This record gives sequence, structure tokens and C-alpha cells, in this order.
Amino acid sequence: MENLGALAILLAFCLSLYSVAASLAGRWKRNDYLVASGRRAVYAIFWLLTFASSLLIYALLNSDFRLAYVVSHSNREMPVLYKFAAWWGGQEGSLLLWAWMLSAYAAVVLFTNRHKFIQMMPYVTSILMVTQAFFLLLIAFPLSPFDVLAVGREVMAAEDGRGLNPLLQYWAMAVHPPTLYMGYVGFIVPFAFAMGSLITRQPGDEWIRTTRRWTLVTWLFQTIGIMLGAGWAYAVLGWGGYWGWDPVENASLLPWITATAFLHSVMMQEKKGMMKVWNVVLISATFFLCIFGTFLTRSGVVSSVHAFAQSPIGTYFVVFLAFILLSTSLLILNRLDYLKSESNLESVISRESSFLFNNLILLGSCFAILWGTLFPVISEAVTGEKISVDAPFFNRVNVPIGLFLLFLTGVGPLIAWRRSSLDSLRRAFLWPASAGLAVALALLALGVRHPYALMSLGLCVFVAWTIVSEFWKGARVIRSRTNQNLLAAMVELTHRNTRRYGGYLVHMGVVLMFVGFTGAAFNKDTTVEVNTGDTFHLGRYELKVSELREGENPNYSWHHAVVDISVGGKPAGKLEPERRFYSASRQNTSEVAIRRRLNEDLYLNFAGMSDDNQKAVIQAYVFPLVTWIWIGFVVLVFGTLVCLVPNKVRFQVARTEMMGVVEQHAPAQE
Amino acid sequence: MHRLRNSILGLLLAALCLAQSASELAAPEIRRVGQHLACLCGTCRNTVADCQMLHCGYALPAREKIARMLGEGKSDQEIIDSFVAERGIHALAVPPAEGFNILGWIMPFVAILGGLLAIWWFIRRFLAKSAPAAVPANQALLDKYQQQINKDLSTLDG
Repeated sequence: MENLGALAILLAFCLSLYSVAASLAGRWKRNDYLVASGRRAVYAIFWLLTFASSLLIYALLNSDFRLAYVVSHSNREMPVLYKFAAWWGGQEGSLLLWAWMLSAYAAVVLFTNRHKFIQMMPYVTSILMVTQAFFLLLIAFPLSPFDVLAVGREVMAAEDGRGLNPLLQYWAMAVHPPTLYMGYVGFIVPFAFAMGSLITRQPGDEWIRTTRRWTLVTWLFQTIGIMLGAGWAYAVLGWGGYWGWDPVENASLLPWITATAFLHSVMMQEKKGMMKVWNVVLISATFFLCIFGTFLTRSGVVSSVHAFAQSPIGTYFVVFLAFILLSTSLLILNRLDYLKSESNLESVISRESSFLFNNLILLGSCFAILWGTLFPVISEAVTGEKISVDAPFFNRVNVPIGLFLLFLTGVGPLIAWRRSSLDSLRRAFLWPASAGLAVALALLALGVRHPYALMSLGLCVFVAWTIVSEFWKGARVIRSRTNQNLLAAMVELTHRNTRRYGGYLVHMGVVLMFVGFTGAAFNKDTTVEVNTGDTFHLGRYELKVSELREGENPNYSWHHAVVDISVGGKPAGKLEPERRFYSASRQNTSEVAIRRRLNEDLYLNFAGMSDDNQKAVIQAYVFPLVTWIWIGFVVLVFGTLVCLVPNKVRFQVARTEMMGVVEQHAPAQE
Repeated sequence: MHRLRNSILGLLLAALCLAQSASELAAPEIRRVGQHLACLCGTCRNTVADCQMLHCGYALPAREKIARMLGEGKSDQEIIDSFVAERGIHALAVPPAEGFNILGWIMPFVAILGGLLAIWWFIRRFLAKSAPAAVPANQALLDKYQQQINKDLSTLDG
């Protein structure tokens, strides 16, 4: 079986090289048969990798402990879901998943566009398959998932496996890596389209629309992946953190930020034919950062709790990254004439300018995170001394940048395309800015003294007001013309321009998430050692330990506490945190108990037993507003899905341009 | 007076530290010092004050050391300096803003400033190009677009 798996990967690797060669040769020799064979090789790669993946999954589900990978990442007692999830639990398997996803994406892209972009698609195929070949090279040679345990020439089988890291045995963790990979891998598609369009000097905007849609879908997957990781950290790690600025977490955020910048600035290209060079740079940077993030996770360059075991593939990545950087830069420089802007900026106070600032701040944030992640390595190389760049650094640098970005989120919709007058700006800003300021002052009067919290909540109200007023104004017009109720009018409004109003919903999701982030300024916690019957207090809660018990099953042993909660003397339910010890991996985990409310979460962690083993150590936390992060996430996902729905009204004139000035009809300049 | 108060507080903390378990080493004074120090356990990226692992091999002894030194009447800075002397500047949660490491702090803002200059250049360049066109518009073309606008508006109304 292992031979078949390894052979399938090797065949897929050879076919990916063939696909590159056939597509390019077919394009240059104008031989459609060759181009078609290059495309069909991609379909074959997908089936070969599906076969190889199935074999690995079969081995994991059936505990085939002849395979080194199965021994390292599963054991007999693991639930089936986590045996399946072990596919991506280790370096080799996750690279196979990556390659399989890329083959699936490539097959879908090539199949759906087989009759479109005739000139460009062979290049798109080649770029996809060069990347495919790179990842297949890794699992075909240095990191095969089908290596067997052997002594000399004799294959051995282990009695049992070491099991998947128990911290990863959580439902969100079973979904988080593949979702994140769907984001990482998916960004290769818009990059391939952008490069293909540059090579062939693709006319028209159709390829931009295709690219934008793919970017939006993969951005959505990346967002879901990141947030599932945050949710997992919050619910599993035991201290209520959802973001730790770990290098691997940062690596997932970097391409997400550049893709967010791209999704904004590409509107300038669609509407005005501007920012073409910038958009190509952004999508290339997104692709580069995806590969760079994978390199960080897997090469051991930076220390991270998330990183895979160190492996010899760092050099492969460095060479591939250098190849991407060099070839992309040369291509962009060579095509600067094709990327010339078709129109000009008409005013500093315009939607176009706000996009420039939005891009600047997003990229500034991206750079700050990348810089903070790499600075320990750079500093050690220069000064010879190790330094730590931990969460406080990232918070200090990124909080002001994030707040400015939030401000721009509110400003954008208030400014018109082409130009806005100061008077119209004053009218547009008056109510939202007043509301934001009023909320900040009210909070100040109520005793809130945290400057960033005041600014953040004030800005959240400002942005939310602008978004709601956009819906309100549009829906009111539709209601007056169609006699629909306001809700139906809002749905109608959104359906008429899904991109615009879906985008506003995404912004609203971001606002709600900022509300949740702001709550962190008011966290409370305590750690206590307690016995049955003991009572302790945190904030407005009185917590009484009504029961402590322990036990074990074949997978783990456990300590369990039942804690009765009361608020102001009234019962408010109970929480049951648990501590587990997994026998196979000899690792502790916490099953935290959370009382989730809109205003705050009460979070209990059974941290362990006291030194004399007589008392339970309970860590209790109050996290104000944290639920709004998850609500914001749901709104953001919903908004993105709305953006993907086709418009009810198909706008025929998508791009605005100056036609000249007719003096007698020209409106007075405001 | 300040030193005397610190000393008394420190002595109390030291006494508590001797008598009590690790979970009670979360006094505000210990957190105040601990938030400047990185937890070097290799698992989390928190500070000594924030690390919540009950049996953390680094944060726990570090907190005990902070409590002991506060008990000896040492100032916050003296305690931080002793960690740095023992472990190097690696012990600090953030790099000190001095020497080469100052780059760590200023580069993100220098990059944003550079971006602002680039935008200023971009806007100037494009605004200069798009000075109000004095050319008369093509009336036939304008009529065509006016018709398109009317058509679109009528669709919206419908």
C-alpha cells in the first residue's frame, strides 16, 4: 500500500512537470492538443493525489503502525474524527493535504475556464503546476508520508502510536488547518491569473473579475481559518487568549492583510483603470507571503509552539521564494507599459484617496507584524545577542495602527468617488462623528479611563453609524418607491448591489470584532486553591465549588469540578471545568467551562491540583465583551457571502471616466 | 519613605511566598515587575506576569525571584536588571529602545511615513495630470451616456 501511495505522488510530480512543459510548448507552437494534454494532466494529478490521500487516511483509520507517519500522529484509542484529522496533524501529511488542495483548486479553475482566456490559460496552468511541482517535490523525496518503519530491509510495525497532540483533539482544530490551507492555497489562483494576464497582456477586465471573485472566496476561507484558530485558543488553551502574536499566527495574518488591501484597491482598477501596478504587486505579495508563512512554520527559522518539527526543507523554500521574487519582479518591471493607469485622480478628497490611505495602513500593519516576527532573527544576526519580541511589542505597535484603520473604515463610505466637497463632508461627518464623540464622553463620565478603549468604542459607534445610515438612506428611497417595509427594502437594496452592501456588512463585522477586542482592556482574573464547599469571588460573581471528582478512561484520566455561580445572591447556573491527562502522549489538557453572555464571559479553568495534591487549582477570568468577536466574525462571513451573490441589477457602466467639460452645463464647483 | 514602604511590602510578599503555593504568586506588585519580563518557557509568548501555565518552568521561579527581591527591598529596575544580567536582554518582553534594537520600534512607523510620502507623490503626480480638461466634450458621446444613465435609472425605479 505504501508503495502505491509513494508511486502516486511520484507520478503526480512527473505529471506536474509535464503539464508545465506541455502548456508552454502548446502555447508557443500554437498546438491546442498539447495545451489540452497539459490541462488534462492537472485532472490526472488531482485523481492521483486523491488516491494517495485516501491511502494515508485508510492507514490512519486502521492504525497501520508500519507507517512512521501513522505512529507519530495517531494511536489506537483516538476517536475516528481525530484519526482522520491526523492527516494534517504532521509535516508530511499536511504537505500532502496542501498538494491535494492545490490540485483540486487547479482542476476546478482549469475546468471552469477551459473555453475562456484561450491565450492566457496555458500560462495560468504552468504557474499553478510549478507551485504544485514544488510541493510534490517535498513529499516525493525528503518528506514522504509513506515512509515505513524498518530495521535493515525488514519492515517493522509498532505496537501503538504516539497519538495526536491532545491539544489538537478539539472539533475546531479538526477544521481549522484545512480551512486555513484553503485560504493559503487559494491565493495561488489569483496570482496565476495576474501573472498570466501580464505575460499575455490580457485585454479587458474579465480576468480581474475572475481574480477578484477567487480572491474573495479564498480570503473568506483564510478568515474562517484564522478565526477558528482564535476560537480554539480561547476555548482550549486555558487562559482565554485568542491571539498570541506567535510567528505562525502572524504568518497566517500577513497574506490575509495584503489580500484585504487587494480587495479594496482592485475596485480602483475596475472602476477607473487605476492602480494596476499596485494591484499586481499586492496579489504577488499575497502569494509570496503564503509560501513565506509556510516556510516560517516548517523550517524552524523562528521558534513557535505551533511550528512543525524541524526538517531539511528550509533550503527548498528559500530557493523557491527567491525564484518567485525574482521572476515576479522581472515580469512586472517588463510590463510597466501594459500596467499604465487609464485615468487620473481628480481630487485629494475622494473615495480613491481613501483607498490609498486604507492600503497604506493595511500594508503598514502588515510590515509591522512581519518586522516584529523577523526582528529577533535580524537583531541576533547583527548584534549576536538574542532578544524577545513578544505580545507587548505587537500590541503597542499595532493598536494605534488598527484604530486608524477602523477610522478609515468609517470615512470611506462618506466620501464620494472622484471628488467630495468640504461642505458635503461636513454634512456627512456631522452625525456619525457626534455620536462617536458622545459615546466616548459618556464612557469617560462613567469612569472609563483607558485611552485606547475610549477611542476604540467611540470609533466603533462612528463607523457603525455611517454603515447603518448608508442602509437607511438607500432603503428609504426604495421604500418610498415600492411601498415595501423597511427590512424588505434593505434586502432589495442589498440585492441590487451586493458588493457594496455586502462590503458594508463585512465592515460592520469588523466593528463588532473591535468592540470585542476592546473588552480586553477590562479583563479580570484570579487563581485559587479550593476544596469542595469552598467559595471565592471574582467581579460580581460568587463561585462555590459544589463537587470535585476524578476518573479515567482508556484515552485519558481526568479531574472534574462543579462550580455553582451566583450573582448578587441569585443563582446563575453552574460551570464544570475539567483537567485531563492523556496517557499515550503523557500530556495535560484543560476542558475549560465558559458562561457566555453578550456583556462578558465567565471563564473557569481547572489548572491542576495543588502541590500537596489536596486541593483543586481553579483559574477564573471575566472577559468583558469577548462574545462580540465571534458575533462580528459571523456577520463578516455573512457579508462576504452576500458579496459573492450576483447583483439583481446588472450595471452596464462599471467604469467612470472624464469625458471633458461642457462649460455651459458644468455644475458649480463646491 | 517610598523605599521603606516597598521594603515592608516586599517582606510581606517574601513571607507569603515562603508559606504559600505557586498559584498565589499573582500579587499586583509581582505582576507589575513581571510584565516587563518575557516568559522564556518556549511554549507561550506571554510575559512572566501573564503566563497562566500552572507549573511553568520559567514564569513560576521568576515570580518567586521577583517576590524575594522585592522582599529584599530591591527596586523594580534592579530586579529587571538582575534578570537581564542573568539571561541577557532576551529576558525582556520587548527589546530595549537603544542601539540597533531601536530599529525594531521605529521601522513600522518609518515605513508608514514612507508610504505617506509615496501617496503624497502619487496624488501630486496624478492631480497634475488631471487638471480640468479645457477641451469641449463630445456632445454625441455625452448624449449616449445620458441615455445610458436614464436607462439605468429607469431600471432602478422599476
